[in-house]
Amino acid sequence: MGWEDTGPCAPLRQQAAIGRGGLSSGGITLAALLFAPTDLTETELLLQGEVRAFLANELPRGTFAPGLGMAAPRDRAFSAKLAQRGWIGMALPTHYGGHDRSAVDRFVVSEELLRWGAPVGHHWVADRQSGPMINRFGTDEQKRRFLPAICRGELSFAIGMSEPDAGSDLAAVRTRATRVDGGWVVNGTKVWTSAAHESDWFVVLCRTGDASEDRHAGLSQLIVDLRSNGLTISPIPFLSGRRDFNEVALEDVFVPDQLVLGEIGGGWGQNTSELAHERGGPERWLSTYLLLEELLRSRSQLFGAERAEVMLGDAVARWWAMRRLSLSVARMIDSGEAPAVQSALVKEMGTRFEQDVLGCVLELIELEPVRDGESMFERLLFEAVLSAPSFTIRGGTNEILRSVASKGLSAL
Amino acid sequence: MTDWLLIDGARRLFGETCTYEVVQAAEAEGWSPSVWSAVAGAGYESLAEMPLADTLAVLTVAGEHAAPLPLAEAALAGWLVEEPLTGPVSVAPASDLRLEDDGVSGTAARVPWGHAVDRIVAVIEGQAVVVGVASAARIERHANLAGDPRDTLVFDRAEPQDARPAGCDLRERGALTRAALMAGALTAMTRLSVDYASERRQFGRPIAAFQAVQHHLVGIAQETALVHAAIDAAARVPGPFEIAAAKALASRAAMAATRAAHQVHGAMGMTQEYRLHHFSRRLWAWRNEYGDEQHWAVRLGRAVAAGGADRLYPALTGGSAVL
Repeated sequence: MGWEDTGPCAPLRQQAAIGRGGLSSGGITLAALLFAPTDLTETELLLQGEVRAFLANELPRGTFAPGLGMAAPRDRAFSAKLAQRGWIGMALPTHYGGHDRSAVDRFVVSEELLRWGAPVGHHWVADRQSGPMINRFGTDEQKRRFLPAICRGELSFAIGMSEPDAGSDLAAVRTRATRVDGGWVVNGTKVWTSAAHESDWFVVLCRTGDASEDRHAGLSQLIVDLRSNGLTISPIPFLSGRRDFNEVALEDVFVPDQLVLGEIGGGWGQNTSELAHERGGPERWLSTYLLLEELLRSRSQLFGAERAEVMLGDAVARWWAMRRLSLSVARMIDSGEAPAVQSALVKEMGTRFEQDVLGCVLELIELEPVRDGESMFERLLFEAVLSAPSFTIRGGTNEILRSVASKGLSAL
Repeated sequence: MTDWLLIDGARRLFGETCTYEVVQAAEAEGWSPSVWSAVAGAGYESLAEMPLADTLAVLTVAGEHAAPLPLAEAALAGWLVEEPLTGPVSVAPASDLRLEDDGVSGTAARVPWGHAVDRIVAVIEGQAVVVGVASAARIERHANLAGDPRDTLVFDRAEPQDARPAGCDLRERGALTRAALMAGALTAMTRLSVDYASERRQFGRPIAAFQAVQHHLVGIAQETALVHAAIDAAARVPGPFEIAAAKALASRAAMAATRAAHQVHGAMGMTQEYRLHHFSRRLWAWRNEYGDEQHWAVRLGRAVAAGGADRLYPALTGGSAVL
């Protein structure tokens, strides 16, 4: 049977013929499935190797207390070392102290830091979220003021979104900024503000105008100094007793016009447009990775049993594929796309998976986690059990993410 | 971007030929002459000669249309024998066939469309042996969960047409082809579910407006995306790690995603007149063929555990190149 040139099958025939000539390559994922397949380039692999070598040298295993993903400890000196390497503010412009690198480069560096359990706490929010947001919506003056210091690993940011009555329903924020001469006076209360007590600034989402029929109208973003007069930070102890959450009360806090981020009234759009960057990254599927690695390191005999092999193999397969989808999100951001649906899909399954990994580990071992356990594995396990419920809540609950993703799928 | 054009061509071919009626008729009759003649004209036997990514792309589209013919077998047969075989061909997934001085004897079970093809390829002690179906002593017709023929062929001193060292690992490549078909079926199932949920109204609104239903739709899309990502990786580097990951994920998705898709469709999905079963039944059948999720997860888990903790993350990023 030959390859004829006419008839209903000609297209397949012709294209397959071209394929036989070796012009065709890699990708077969269907456009309908949203994720363009991608792989790291040679240059990106070199970067990966550099980060691995740096971490092995700077933070050898056993010489530091690793953290679970982005909840890792804060270490200004470590952040400064990363900054010296050019690994903070990577995707920000060189003009403002950044490095003009891609979202994929940032993905490569974040991934390695997180899976190593490196102390990224100090610069994490500024690097991932606040810096890019100021770069995108800020004035030249704001960029000159904040970005170089962020890129040096100095400035630390917190997130001022949630309020007592505005969690998943963020448009319900009540914190209000009132116009005064030269700026705004802010009143209200932010809650669940991670690390506010250790950070320098936070970007506050607040109401500057009344909600019209459009609930999303009248919201604005202000860059607020966490040491402002009238601002009180009180701890909301984490269920484990750990200090992380805070309540931040703002009472007649003055914010000058120079610190309005973007457009007055444009806060909702600015805030949501940045979520794609926040949502699809490796921090959404690596929070419990180190737990499994430590289990393998410290209790390798477990993996002689088929049940353990199945669990490990299944987890590895899912990490393998999920990582590629997450990488695809970064690649899309580099192409100027706004992969909101894809990010939501990745975060929703990635965070559930993080909990599943913990569940598997708990099933495999007979060990009641205790505080200050003897091994690194035990200490990580203790922390993981207590923090795992937050994985599917922080940065947008999975229920909200499902709605976002589902509406996107239906609109295709 | 040749591959996208290739996919368009395959879409058109399978879209035009594998209609609901044709797939139904193929199940009743065990063979579809119209699909066969269209695919034969499009270069059936060259599936094994294309770049692997293209072969898998065509199989994915075939799965998306529930194409009722041994297309994966054409690729497998070609890879095993390392030259094109004309006419419809199938592959014995496993057999107790023996190749002796007086010919091929024994039983090949679960041969896809065994009764309808001209010849089959079986792997006997590392040899890819080609034997004509006409030389079978007995043929028993069976079918899998999807109603696709999975026949038993009994040979008694049949003369082999060819025997040479097998050109590929049948279990791995078989699993890879099944995973590609499954990626396609999952795509079709995602689309059907999303469309149905948008159109079907209950309580005065489309059921897609209910969060409980949205949960299912998102789960189906996620499982599907994972399988596609793994297939894409295996198309680039078809190593043992990549193939194990792809089939483990595909077989896992076959259970999780079909369950959600059926839940979205309610009673409609349980009927023969609605197309969901063309995909869900195939996914259930393909889940087992060439190893289920358990089989491949064990292989992957064992290899990764043997590599040790320090190589765990490098393996997650580098696959077979590292492990």
